[in-house]
Amino acid sequence: MSSKKIVLTSSDGESFKVEEVVARKLQIVGHIIEDDCATNKIPIPNVTGEILAKVIEYCKKHVEDDDDVVETHESSTKGDKTVEEAKKKPDDVAVPESTEGDDEAEDKKEKLNEWDAKFMKDFDIKTIFDIILAANYLNVQGLFDLCSKTIADYIKDMTPEEVRELFNIENDFTPEEEEAIRNENAWTFEQDGKQQVPKP
Amino acid sequence: MEEELAMLRQLIGQLQELLHNGSPPPPSSSSSLSSSSPSFLVLHHPQYQNGWCLPCIEDTSADDCCDIVMAGGKRPGIFKMLETVKPPVKRTRKERTQGKSCTEVDEISGNMDQEIWQEFPQDLFEDVVSRLPMATFFQFRAVCRKWNALIDSDSFSRCFTELPQTIPWFYTITHENVNSGQVYDPSLKKWHHPIIPALPKKSIVLPMASAGGLVCFLDIGHRNFYVSNPLTKSFRELPARSFKVWSRVAVGMTLNGNSTSHGYKVLWVGCEGEYEVYDSLSNVWTKRGTIPSNIKLPVLLNFKSQPVAIHSTLYFMLTDPEGILSYDMVSGKWKQFIIPGPPDLSDHTLAACGERLMLVGLLTKNAATCVCIWELQKMTLLWKEVDRMPNIWCLEFYGKHIRMNCLGNKGCLILLSLRSRQMNRLITYNAVTREWTKVPGCTVPRGRKRLWIACGTAFHPSPTARA
Repeated sequence: MSSKKIVLTSSDGESFKVEEVVARKLQIVGHIIEDDCATNKIPIPNVTGEILAKVIEYCKKHVEDDDDVVETHESSTKGDKTVEEAKKKPDDVAVPESTEGDDEAEDKKEKLNEWDAKFMKDFDIKTIFDIILAANYLNVQGLFDLCSKTIADYIKDMTPEEVRELFNIENDFTPEEEEAIRNENAWTFEQDGKQQVPKP
Repeated sequence: MEEELAMLRQLIGQLQELLHNGSPPPPSSSSSLSSSSPSFLVLHHPQYQNGWCLPCIEDTSADDCCDIVMAGGKRPGIFKMLETVKPPVKRTRKERTQGKSCTEVDEISGNMDQEIWQEFPQDLFEDVVSRLPMATFFQFRAVCRKWNALIDSDSFSRCFTELPQTIPWFYTITHENVNSGQVYDPSLKKWHHPIIPALPKKSIVLPMASAGGLVCFLDIGHRNFYVSNPLTKSFRELPARSFKVWSRVAVGMTLNGNSTSHGYKVLWVGCEGEYEVYDSLSNVWTKRGTIPSNIKLPVLLNFKSQPVAIHSTLYFMLTDPEGILSYDMVSGKWKQFIIPGPPDLSDHTLAACGERLMLVGLLTKNAATCVCIWELQKMTLLWKEVDRMPNIWCLEFYGKHIRMNCLGNKGCLILLSLRSRQMNRLITYNAVTREWTKVPGCTVPRGRKRLWIACGTAFHPSPTARA
């Protein structure tokens, strides 16, 4: 069963032969396979070959995510907000100690994060846009989250004016409204010892 | 059909003219030929001709088609349509062309950037915006009405809540300016000074507890409770208490679910064992009573130690007998644990890290003072030392009389204030990474005077928590 191949065809006719376990990482494809709706050829009409290749590359790398107990990358639900982020440790075990397995899983996750960062590093903003749309359409949650984070990091040091320009967003505030919002959030623009509130 | 063909010829002519006028003059004539040739070939290719033309014809009239094509604002869109139509082999040739002319590539890229984001689905913006640093999110409220409205959006709130818990911030007040908070962001090591206009201006209010992005305040006379999101100014004054107890109380706070949309609870307990629980969903103090008789009274709570919450259970530090008192907000049950304190300990305070109870205190031997961390061993009910402040920091306090205060604890991070007559040192300790960090001095905007922090509480910054 694990040797079964699935052929994914992009909108521009490129074909990709992948292991079924990799194809299932595209959850929309996983559902098609589950429902036995198709043979081993599945068209992906909304994604170009260039982008589909990137999605598949990511899925191949993350093919084991679901089996990794440390990895919560693709969990659709998260814990209670009041549950703190720290890892749970046995009550009577001293803090510095940890099992060898935990170290291994931790190291694996760290390497995976490094691969993710490297994977995203070479893309221009348009490619990231296309990948996030594809990840959303194909329901690859980990890649979607990774792209969201990458775009957020890209814009986090911009001014509101720069964000409007990048995303081609119209400034639909009246001047009075915009001034009121900036005043209300002036505390976020304060620098050490002096206050800088960008003017509209 | 003939009419369609005529229209197609007209569109082709106009497109060619537009392409010629829209592009800057290429550096060389060979580039010019290369850049225009693929488009021409594509437009006449039988396989792609119909596919390209049909949506246009079906959706609009001939005149509208012409208007769309001629409109200058749509020029980037035309480039995108052309790109979509091109077969892979044509893209290869274009890539070779792009290699020759950097200027042309930049021009195309610039146009593309403007166009593509217009198609970005609006709900996907929420996933991006929810991942911004907290202060940046508030700055970007000024981008447009839609982004500003995210703060009130239920779907954005769910988006934000699903993300991993962030490093907590600390809401503190100083001996002066007591109604303006000094808020510390440990991840950026930055102080902010948000104002909560609704807090009473003529009395001192103290931050006592927090849950889900909200901070619970109590006026210094222990009469009125307030709950607010310090970042969004969402505010609520709690109704008057049934018990007329104006002596010192300990205050704890928990969420009913995983966000404030499911409500929260506030508990106060006094030194005679009387207590009351407020439920935000019903906006009343729902439970009241006295700590059960199996627990020794009077309860000598350590009021300098803030209660800590693990899930729906609150833990209070007792001084006599030494130990811990717990209250389960769901079951309403009190429990007492007798736990002897470590020797030579002073100014100790309770803390939590995940599901571990911790103790933080000062150890003083001879003239040397050091901050020490213990963890409660649940099987033996004993404190076990797990960490100490770095020795080189202890030298700073050598020979001085030091007092310690906990200014907040959440998510494994603890903010401590160490004071001598000349100095107020703030440090954070991360119980997971076991990292000790100095906090930069806090000054008011436009001010130079360094502020001395009096008390505080930790909270998880949230743009969507509502009081």
